[in-house]
Amino acid sequence: MTSQPTGYRWIGQSMKRVEDPRLLTGRGQYVDDIGLPNMTHAAVLRSPHAHARIRSIDTSKAKAVPGVVLVMTGAEAAQQTGPLPCFASPPVAQYCIAVDRVRHVGEAVAAVVAESRYIAEDAADLIEVEYAPLPVVIDPEEATRSTGDAVLHPERGPSNVALQRTLTFGPVDEDFARADVVVRRKLRWPRSGAQPMETVGALASYDDATGKFSIHANTSMYNYVGWLMAMSLKVPAHKLNIIPAIAGGSFGSKLFTHKVPILAATLARACGRPVKYLEDRIDNIMSCDNHGSDRIYDLELALKKDGTMLSLRMKVIDDYGAYLQFGVGHHGNALAQLTGPYRIKSAQVSLTAVLTNKGQQGAYRGFGSEVNNFVVERMADAAAEAVAMDPVDIRRKNFIQPDQFPYKIPTGNLYDSGNYEAVLDKALEMADYHGWRRKQHEARQAGRYVGIGLVSCQERSVFSATEFWFWNHEPGFALTSSPDSVDVKIDPTGKAFVRLHAPFWGNSPETVATQILAEQLTMDPADITVTYSDTDSGLPGTGPGGSRYTVMIAGAIAGAAKELREKMFKVAAHLLEASESDLELRDGRVGVRGTDRGMSIGDIALQAHYFKLSLPPDVRSGLDARYTYDHPYTTLPNADRTDMGVFYPIMGHMCHIPIIEVDIETGQITFLKYVAVHDAGTVVNPMTLAGHIRGGTVQGIGSALYEHYYYDPSGQLLTANFADYLIPTLMEAPENIEVGHVVTPSPYTEYGIKGGGEGGRMGAPAALASAVEDALKPLGIKIDSLPIRPVLLREMIREAQQRRP
Amino acid sequence: MKPASFSYVRPTTVEEALSALAQQGGEAKVLAGGQSLIAMMNLRLLKPSRLVDINRVAALDYIRHDNGTLAIGALTRLSAAERSPLVAQHCPLMTEAIQHIAHRPIRNRGTVGGNLAHADPTSELPAVAVATDATFVARSAKGQRTILAADFFVGHLTTALQPDELLTEVRVPPSRLAGQGWSFMEVSPRKGDYALVGVAATLQVKDGACQAARLVYCGVAGRAQRVPEAEQALVGRAADEGAFRAAAGIASQRVHPDSDFHATAAYRRDLVNALTRRALAQALARCGERSA
Amino acid sequence: MEREEVTVTVNGVRHERMVEPRRLLCDFIREDLGLSGTHVGCEHGVCGMCTVLVDGRTARSCLMFAVQVDGASITTVEGLGTPSKMHPLQEAFREKHGLQCGFCTPAMLVTALELLDHDPNPSRDDIREAVSSNLCRCTGYQTIVDSIEYAATLMRGGAR
Repeated sequence: MTSQPTGYRWIGQSMKRVEDPRLLTGRGQYVDDIGLPNMTHAAVLRSPHAHARIRSIDTSKAKAVPGVVLVMTGAEAAQQTGPLPCFASPPVAQYCIAVDRVRHVGEAVAAVVAESRYIAEDAADLIEVEYAPLPVVIDPEEATRSTGDAVLHPERGPSNVALQRTLTFGPVDEDFARADVVVRRKLRWPRSGAQPMETVGALASYDDATGKFSIHANTSMYNYVGWLMAMSLKVPAHKLNIIPAIAGGSFGSKLFTHKVPILAATLARACGRPVKYLEDRIDNIMSCDNHGSDRIYDLELALKKDGTMLSLRMKVIDDYGAYLQFGVGHHGNALAQLTGPYRIKSAQVSLTAVLTNKGQQGAYRGFGSEVNNFVVERMADAAAEAVAMDPVDIRRKNFIQPDQFPYKIPTGNLYDSGNYEAVLDKALEMADYHGWRRKQHEARQAGRYVGIGLVSCQERSVFSATEFWFWNHEPGFALTSSPDSVDVKIDPTGKAFVRLHAPFWGNSPETVATQILAEQLTMDPADITVTYSDTDSGLPGTGPGGSRYTVMIAGAIAGAAKELREKMFKVAAHLLEASESDLELRDGRVGVRGTDRGMSIGDIALQAHYFKLSLPPDVRSGLDARYTYDHPYTTLPNADRTDMGVFYPIMGHMCHIPIIEVDIETGQITFLKYVAVHDAGTVVNPMTLAGHIRGGTVQGIGSALYEHYYYDPSGQLLTANFADYLIPTLMEAPENIEVGHVVTPSPYTEYGIKGGGEGGRMGAPAALASAVEDALKPLGIKIDSLPIRPVLLREMIREAQQRRP
Repeated sequence: MKPASFSYVRPTTVEEALSALAQQGGEAKVLAGGQSLIAMMNLRLLKPSRLVDINRVAALDYIRHDNGTLAIGALTRLSAAERSPLVAQHCPLMTEAIQHIAHRPIRNRGTVGGNLAHADPTSELPAVAVATDATFVARSAKGQRTILAADFFVGHLTTALQPDELLTEVRVPPSRLAGQGWSFMEVSPRKGDYALVGVAATLQVKDGACQAARLVYCGVAGRAQRVPEAEQALVGRAADEGAFRAAAGIASQRVHPDSDFHATAAYRRDLVNALTRRALAQALARCGERSA
Repeated sequence: MEREEVTVTVNGVRHERMVEPRRLLCDFIREDLGLSGTHVGCEHGVCGMCTVLVDGRTARSCLMFAVQVDGASITTVEGLGTPSKMHPLQEAFREKHGLQCGFCTPAMLVTALELLDHDPNPSRDDIREAVSSNLCRCTGYQTIVDSIEYAATLMRGGAR
């Protein structure tokens, strides 16, 4: 089925956003907009060295600055606050302020609390630190060979290899043995990152009468693992309340930003006043703990000469930077769609995760799967060339067919539904692909380099917890829950109050929740209000990320609505003296079918709240429900990890076709056209989904062409501000990203919704590489690494031109 | 990042400003547009102990055309210069160059004088000044002098201005070349970023032959660099693709740019080559569009 | 610590304060005047989050000191409209999905206001030029341009 299920009143509507009025009028309460009486401000002194022991820190001059409340070193912080949360097993110890050793440029060395940020920075300038430099390792391949003082965490072992493991799924060796052709490529995906316009911040206070912390923060996962922050702060979990602030963008980077709240809380407890710590942009770029994947791949794809893909072998080194907060979850994630949309029967992944003197990796839109898409699609293009097949035809040939779903891929994950050819065909049509191939031919004759990129990529949605640990040799905390909850109450006047237990990132959760509840209870969206819980009153909430939130909240709301409907029907049946089976809920009214007898939701609510003696005897007063919705389909990996179980089965898909021109004299790239066709199952709000497709595409273009956290050999970050870390402006984005939809509903989710939040970023980097390589085909240039910066492209062009006869 | 403390004075006349600069020796910095200065202060790369805010010295904010000379007061906002019909008429090279400077909000505050006195090697206006033989009026409490553009820019962020001197005016002389065409082009990582390489080009053509040309580059040295050898290669030749290619080739060999993260020396030379040809072609197309 | 007097009109309301010379205009607006709709993104003038109108023209408030606006008239997003009575620009952004996280939105709105105040009938390229001065990480910019284009028709009295 490739069309949106019909017959809904609110599902599928591009309803205007509930969040907008306050955001548009400057009344959004981001974390820096929140204040408390007697509040102080923190600034952080950061290491200029990439790797060094801290010999001594003299804070005396800093402490003497008028207006300074407190100066704290890492050693002092460690006396009251333990290591930061870490999902890796075994963990890698990280502290909110470096204790005796700094491991990347920009790591925190001391913190100052003062009456203003200005004064705090004045004081930070006066802190004197003596460092003893240690050997710096920046190159991931070199990191696999590090010894002695070049090892960042010697307590973990004498190596910078944090994890090394090979997983084999299916008969890889046999499939390679029977191949006609083996295509090989080495690919480089360097780190870029989310860089939302809002940085990470926290406003923490400590009540020493109750021993309780209260922290306003723009982090997510506070109702999932927020208590881990209490553990770091060495207080019982019920002595910490985390209150979410809306986030000015996250794209994964605010998934679990423990360091900033824990630092702010540590300072607040020490000085006895509320402390606001807001990263400035330099703090954030250097030390946000949210750099993206940083990988070197050695790939082999086994093929038959008719283009049938048989098997994929992958060796990947991932440079995690100085710490390992999410373990190798990014590679768990990549296993979800390891073989792309193709019927590849076996695969092997050899992963080496290394630690180096760079900022730590976190989560960035795609969480490693956008990188997997990149490598699979580069190999698909390489395969097409190797067997002299059109890149469109080789994809068609290898696509999983619609009648094969649910489809189990070699890693054990399931793809729930899909129609990849329908997406491809729609994209080809929208792009006028054949027309542009003709134009490309004419352009080439005129000496112009026009390129048509084409990729078919998966967008897995709704991660399971298992991906965080199933790569580990010792799983550690092998959790299997990743739920989301909602509570809904209807007040005596019939208004609905929805409470979410996960934050706003720009992803329209209030709008989506409103639409779904309105659909479920046939209510008017104007009668629904949405708020966010803190951790004191929170229910389990994994939150946004991995394109999961709309699917999860739909399930949770459906669960809660079902309970509400059941109670309303019970009450109405009793009051109307009718049978429940004769009742229907329509237009906000529970009525007896075929008559005009009925009660509005408001009428029922009034009765339910106040007239106990009129209710059925076993019904209690009130009208509310809460529902915790678990991941709809998770199974455990097997013991030897030849089958990872089902962990990410809700599988969206996309086809991106960028058409570009390369100015071969300058290496600059211009967009001529950009088509993005996405299948995200049933779409709740087409307008907001298109926003993720376009916004994600432009972020993907950023990673493909402009963005790079670039460390020089001494470990200095050369792209440490917005003048050097190049986020696309409007001029670098395609003028018109033409969005198309195909719908293959999921059989596992409410309404058949699939996630779409990661959107265009899942496919755009692969698509750009494809387009540039296609443009420069006459010169025989291959695009094996990102970003495709003009200076690098020009160098490849110059070399190619010199090689030509 | 927040700036360090400074003392602040806000004169309303040129004399007051000069007096403030004279008092402080080298420790005072002039605050005009502030778009470069305040950014560097926020990052604590600069910590001047005193700022002399000249934004109220109205006498420095003007654009005039006297006796063929275009006189621009140092405090003229870049966006005002960009929109000025006088500048468009008498120095369209400058109008085109200003459009490459950052973005409109920056140009709304940034000033012509401030941009020139900051002397960033990738800055557009210094190249325009050298290409048009502009002169600069520098005043101090002790007097006034006029400095030729080619002498004004000394090196990376360094001009001939003494610490107690204020740039008060930029003068663009009348073009001696009737029917001259012009073009300013640059390549930057994103639109509005600092140029990797830019070229300010003028070309005069008569009966299809090049009479005179100026080729001045930003981004290839510590200051704007003119390449007379490339200019000379055009003189007397037919104004065509072949001549432009030859001049571009010479220019790309005569510059000795640095390599940095954003661009290698080889890439900068490639850009000099490409931009020279393209700018000359555009200048040719514009020949005769305006009278001298 | 010498302080200077600043008298400034913001969204039509006059304010008088004493400020340190180094106090940035963005911090003055947000903290001293309590107008937190203007945001701070980079403090080196690149991202544009802090953009306000000073005497009708866009300026980066992170690249100005509060003392510099003595006697000036400033417009921030709070001067456009309220949730119950939104400016056509705000209505247009809502209609055309010109925002997701909302962090760049105040900057985009005042930038659009400068454009439309000086040119009520801008071309799409004029709009694109104006929008290109601010970063947005969420939308990909296209719907921001659509929003401003739509707002221009609303403000010229066109049909909704």
